[in-house]
Amino acid sequence: MKPIEKYNPAVLFLYFLLLASIAMFATNPVMVGIAFAAMNLTAVSYTRDGLGRAYLFFFVIFILTSLANPIFSHNGVTVLLVVNDNPITLEAVLYGVMTGIMILSVLLLFRVFGTLMTSDRLLYIFGRAFPKLGLLLSMTLRFVPLFGRQRRKIENTQRTLGLYKNENAIDNIKGKLSVLSAMTTWGLENGIVTADSMSARGYGIKRTRTSFSMFRFERSDAVMLTLIIISCGFIFLGIAMDRLKTDFYPRMQLPPFSLYAIMCYVIYAGLAFLPLAAKIRDRIIQRKVFGQE
Amino acid sequence: MEIIRVEDLNFKYADGKQALKNINFSLEEGEMLCLCGPTGSGKSTLLRLLKRELSPRGEKSGNIFISGRRQDDLSDREAATDVGFVFQRPDMQIVTDKVWHELAFGLENLGVGQDEIRRRVCEIAGYFGMESWFERSTDSLSGGQKQLLNLASVMVMQPKLLILDEPVSQLDPIAASDFIATIGKLCREFGISIIAAEQRLEELIPASDKLLAISDGEIAAFGETRECVGTLISNEIFSSSMPASAKIYMNLTGSYKEESTERGKERTGAASDGSATAGFAELPLSVGEGRRFLSEYIKKHECAPEVVKAVDFAKAPEAPEDAKTSEHMKRSELAKTPEDALEFREVYLKYERNGRDILRALSFKVGKGEIFCILGGNGAGKSTAVCAAAGLFKPYSGKIKVFGKDIRDYRGQELYRSCVAMLPQDVQTVFVSDDYNGRHPYDLSGGEQQLAALEIVLKTEPKLLLLDEPTKGLDAGLAQSLRKRLKELAAGGVTIVIVSHDVEFAASTADRCAFLFNGEVVSVSDAGEFFTGNYFYTTAYNRITRGILKKF
Repeated sequence: MKPIEKYNPAVLFLYFLLLASIAMFATNPVMVGIAFAAMNLTAVSYTRDGLGRAYLFFFVIFILTSLANPIFSHNGVTVLLVVNDNPITLEAVLYGVMTGIMILSVLLLFRVFGTLMTSDRLLYIFGRAFPKLGLLLSMTLRFVPLFGRQRRKIENTQRTLGLYKNENAIDNIKGKLSVLSAMTTWGLENGIVTADSMSARGYGIKRTRTSFSMFRFERSDAVMLTLIIISCGFIFLGIAMDRLKTDFYPRMQLPPFSLYAIMCYVIYAGLAFLPLAAKIRDRIIQRKVFGQE
Repeated sequence: MEIIRVEDLNFKYADGKQALKNINFSLEEGEMLCLCGPTGSGKSTLLRLLKRELSPRGEKSGNIFISGRRQDDLSDREAATDVGFVFQRPDMQIVTDKVWHELAFGLENLGVGQDEIRRRVCEIAGYFGMESWFERSTDSLSGGQKQLLNLASVMVMQPKLLILDEPVSQLDPIAASDFIATIGKLCREFGISIIAAEQRLEELIPASDKLLAISDGEIAAFGETRECVGTLISNEIFSSSMPASAKIYMNLTGSYKEESTERGKERTGAASDGSATAGFAELPLSVGEGRRFLSEYIKKHECAPEVVKAVDFAKAPEAPEDAKTSEHMKRSELAKTPEDALEFREVYLKYERNGRDILRALSFKVGKGEIFCILGGNGAGKSTAVCAAAGLFKPYSGKIKVFGKDIRDYRGQELYRSCVAMLPQDVQTVFVSDDYNGRHPYDLSGGEQQLAALEIVLKTEPKLLLLDEPTKGLDAGLAQSLRKRLKELAAGGVTIVIVSHDVEFAASTADRCAFLFNGEVVSVSDAGEFFTGNYFYTTAYNRITRGILKKF
């Protein structure tokens, strides 16, 4: 096993896609719990920057979803209290909490996905499927920062030339508008150079461009891909055959503990903790090779 | 084998402007051709006509043969791969976001397979030494790296002919000479033919085999480099852009022809280039050749170095740095008056909280009415220093005083109202109006844009003018008019601070110079003293005469 980001982007993409769909379809408290634990730990180890603020937002979502269910759903036999002739039931509250935790896990999963699937990885995936879109995306990623920098440069220069003169709102808007117009001219004029540079290198002479990428599909990618597909297939089969189903209404049942279900839990835990395990394994190996820091 | 042959090429733009008249030349495989000519002489038009995809619209007559075949008969694929083209502005010709993707772009267009692309891209990156920044985004590269990337992403298509349109005019001198060395290497090691147009010829001329000079769309000279420099050195339009060695030779020997033929007779045995070039073999082009010539000349004529120096200066068209005019002296006197136009007192500045210091304890003073030039390498903090003086960056420690008043005490727009003005490095940021004297500013050539931007900046009637790299892309003639304009302004009492890589310009323009290294001023002195004292960071003239005409 290599560090998770070293796998081929297609493998990574499929991994996140399947994991997210299991997390959303499996209404099973054990599996929701596994996902929640795994995603929290993974998010902490992979996306530490700005995580605190993200958690604040996630917490609000969690509260909203957990509250929404008992307010709108009045199924269940254990009535806790009655508000406006509407019973609030224990089952609805529990179901709401589980849904909240599930959504939280999926949001954390997307956060990790966003960090790991960098622009060049996404480009690799979409470039293969839609070569034109791939190039467009790459050019956009090139020109957005370029334009941003140019805008700041123009603003600075114009400031020294006395734009934004009286520092009132109208002058400010006028200033911004003239910077915008200068940007447009600059973009159009210099876009010609880019177009020339493209056609000088044969852009458009062949209908089918190659979409080149530095990523390779190695043996380890094939192994990982097979493992992911088999284990996800096993779990999906369980979901489809109702082997993992836990009912909340009218009365909450315990999650199933058949052999099949337990195997599913173990496999799911293995899948969900995969990025974390890869990271920990990598740490240990690094320490062995390079010694303690 | 002949790689390119141009026969009776005429070109008229769609608006009726005759751009090229009767152009005839040819180039052998593995030769480097230096194309020179003043701004607007038709260099770019000629270069674009040589690359089919870039041919401008207009009326064309005559023939262009690439490897013996008519340009029009080439297939699309051949036209794209056999002739490579590198443009002037490093930033705008980069298409994609990652270095490796940019290298692959041309091959992707040809539909080459994945494995073949990988092999060729990695090979070229290895050859150009790009491993360490291979995976970086193109946005984060320096100007020199960007231009090298542009060269590499053309070379990956394995062209036979490489066309470069002022490739180094936007680069600093160190990156520029690296770039010229690289193309020279490609030419020698791989037999690639190169046609390069450039304004600064000091380094390109010694590296090239042939020279083509055009003015007003017509050929002024074409042939072996030495021979051409010999004819052009006495040509009014071209003499100022010729290498310093050739100028010194010219100044000392008077008429180039007489002396050289005379010498040629003496050394017919030594001249192995064949009889046709024997007379030109003496003309020095590079700094090394210039030094050899100078010491031989002194030995042979048995005259004192001072006499040689005097002869040289008497004939120099623009007085070199130590021949100060009286007006210059007057301004230096003026500079000694107690009031300073600009003062940096132990200024520290950085961009990010945990970033490194860009300026560290930067201190200097600029007197009123002085032309002060700050020189230094890339990333020394030169641009940051002028931007700080223009109030765009705030130091976290130290003081900047403008006309004796702390820059922080200027409220609102006070600093920019008839007080401080700055000409930024990217002059296109100055143009917000679509009209400059009846023309669109983007229709002007690079050098003309520079001067137009200066005039726009001067409209604010500044007392302190800050210039960031004002000579980028200027040819010798325009540099001359910029120099004149700045001296006029200085005579009118405007204080000028120039930040530049351009040692030749600084030497002939500035009253005092400072050398900036790693965010601090290492040395400040009068321009003449400054350049004779420096060993590396000095003009070609000083590098030639050092130790021969001058002490140290």
